Amino acid sequence: MKTFVGLFLSSTAFGAVILVAYWFVAHEETTGSVLLAIMTAALAFAAVYAVIAERHAHIDGDGQDLTPEDVKGEDLGVYTTHSPYPILLALSCLFMLLGVLYSPILAFAAVVAVLLCLWRLGAESARV
Amino acid sequence: MITWLTATDHKKIGIMYIITTMVFFVIAGILALMIRAQLATPDNDLIPSHLYNQIFTLHGTAMIFFVIAPFGLGLANYLVPLQIGAPDMAFPRLNATSLWLFVIAGIITFLGLATYGGAAAYGWTNYAPLSEISEGTGVGADFWLIGILLASVSTILTAINITTTTFLLRAPGMTMWRVPIFVWEMIATAILILMAFPSLTAVTLMVLIDRHLGGHFFDPAFGGNPILYQHLFWFFGHPEVYVMVLPYFGIVTEVIATFARKPVFGYVGLVISAFAIAGLSIGVWAHHMFTTGAVSNPFFSAVSFLIAVPTGVKFVNWIGTMWKGSIELSTAMLFAVGFLFNFLLGGITGVMVASPPIDYQVHDSYFVVNHFHYTLGGGSMFAMFAALFFWFPKIFGVKLSERLGKWCFWFMFVGFNITFIPMAFMGLEGMARRVYTYPNVEHLALLNGIASFGGVILAIGVALFFVNILVSAFAHVPVPANPWGGYSLEWATSSPPPEFNFETMPPINSRRPLWDAPSTQGSGP
Repeated sequence: MKTFVGLFLSSTAFGAVILVAYWFVAHEETTGSVLLAIMTAALAFAAVYAVIAERHAHIDGDGQDLTPEDVKGEDLGVYTTHSPYPILLALSCLFMLLGVLYSPILAFAAVVAVLLCLWRLGAESARV
Repeated sequence: MITWLTATDHKKIGIMYIITTMVFFVIAGILALMIRAQLATPDNDLIPSHLYNQIFTLHGTAMIFFVIAPFGLGLANYLVPLQIGAPDMAFPRLNATSLWLFVIAGIITFLGLATYGGAAAYGWTNYAPLSEISEGTGVGADFWLIGILLASVSTILTAINITTTTFLLRAPGMTMWRVPIFVWEMIATAILILMAFPSLTAVTLMVLIDRHLGGHFFDPAFGGNPILYQHLFWFFGHPEVYVMVLPYFGIVTEVIATFARKPVFGYVGLVISAFAIAGLSIGVWAHHMFTTGAVSNPFFSAVSFLIAVPTGVKFVNWIGTMWKGSIELSTAMLFAVGFLFNFLLGGITGVMVASPPIDYQVHDSYFVVNHFHYTLGGGSMFAMFAALFFWFPKIFGVKLSERLGKWCFWFMFVGFNITFIPMAFMGLEGMARRVYTYPNVEHLALLNGIASFGGVILAIGVALFFVNILVSAFAHVPVPANPWGGYSLEWATSSPPPEFNFETMPPINSRRPLWDAPSTQGSGP
């Protein structure tokens, strides 16, 4: 986990350096500067989250000397193998976009379908 | 059928990704042959001009959005959990949602061909205001925009999944500095996607708003700015090039190390260079805009030159891995070496066009077509075939014929170079890209004729690959868990792997867990 914290912190620092360099070299060009600023902010957000998460994280993969035997019997959670809702959600997203362009009724129906799929996916996740 | 449609198992999703990309690869290849047929002779009118524009638009769209980039993501879906010793991806349902968004995106994009007015016809870059006002911007163009929007969202979701999986689900002992290079390259790719793809999502939405909801983001008549489109598009577009390359760096590294029977040379250097490339690629977007006069050419030129440094580091690593190795020239290894050769040529021309004075001369010419086909076609596509030959036994439990595979490689390698080397000279003689036809001047007729002939040879090579699949499927010789003598964890489980991947997990004490334990070393190449 420490590696990821370092990864995001160094990426944030890199984004900040590029942003400052671009701002001065490109004569305060606004569009690119805003894009780089948003990117740096996103990286900083991820870095802060990683720093906080790292304090509570216990990841088997980080244990250099851990073996599969050491964690035998550990609860890894339940992994689903099937769900009908991802494909339905994807189709609903398509019809939602088509509806926005061509038919408000279709858009409304598709938004309802998207919400239903998200609700069912949430319910499935909660069950396991 | 239903079990596949509702599957959330990462292996099934990975297989469906790969098969879908192969379908689009064949479609894109047929479109490329149509382009070469039209350009085979000067003043040709074999294909109507408006259809030609749709063909090259769909060819580029398919190869970039539905073949090269998603193949890497699909392979990562299959391999990353196996290589880090996880039972599945972190979010299996999200993974399935990404897949279906991607499949639906591809279908809706190509459905534009069936609409009145045809498919989008403004090039894969979708430049506004061209994409808002010109011919070929009817319903087919809407479908194209919807397709790209869905593909963009799908890619972002996959990136979240890959990052989280590698953060959290590594097996005991699989520290970050022990994961295979392919996994590292996928982490770099995923972070790059998270930084760059929202820009594509935004700009596609903005074009849709301009077209349907009365927006004027890119319409200069109402105060909009076409340069804004280019900034937003290329802020995604150039990192996308590395999204299409980094996974293939990982593939080539794994293949070379396995068939050289040597540990990866400069593991840490490979990791650092991957992130250096990813980071620098964020700062080079406007080298596609040198000729607009609206960007800082020195800044973007300098950063573009810098990318050659970490890329060069990778070449040193790959050559160092092969150096004094016990090299077995299997088909996968041949494709990996072919990648090195082609990608080097693409990299050299890339450094050339990173220089604004040269770029002003060759901008929008066939020289640029040569450049990006060498990086993405000769580079990524060859690595894609290396991956197919290398991991086919693991995924399907059947080995592809090596003999047919080598024929496939040589046809593809020779055909590819005959097709694309002449394009550099066409560009230098002034032939613009995307032109429908050309006059019989200079050497253009000869060069185009050679390129079209090469295209046929390349197509035969690709066809041999699919023949190979059929032949191998009929022969159906089962393979052991580790047919190549690989070192990473995916080779520790059966071919194909069971549900949740591992019956027993070997101890992980190094970067090469299978070479540590004599019982799992496999038969060797």
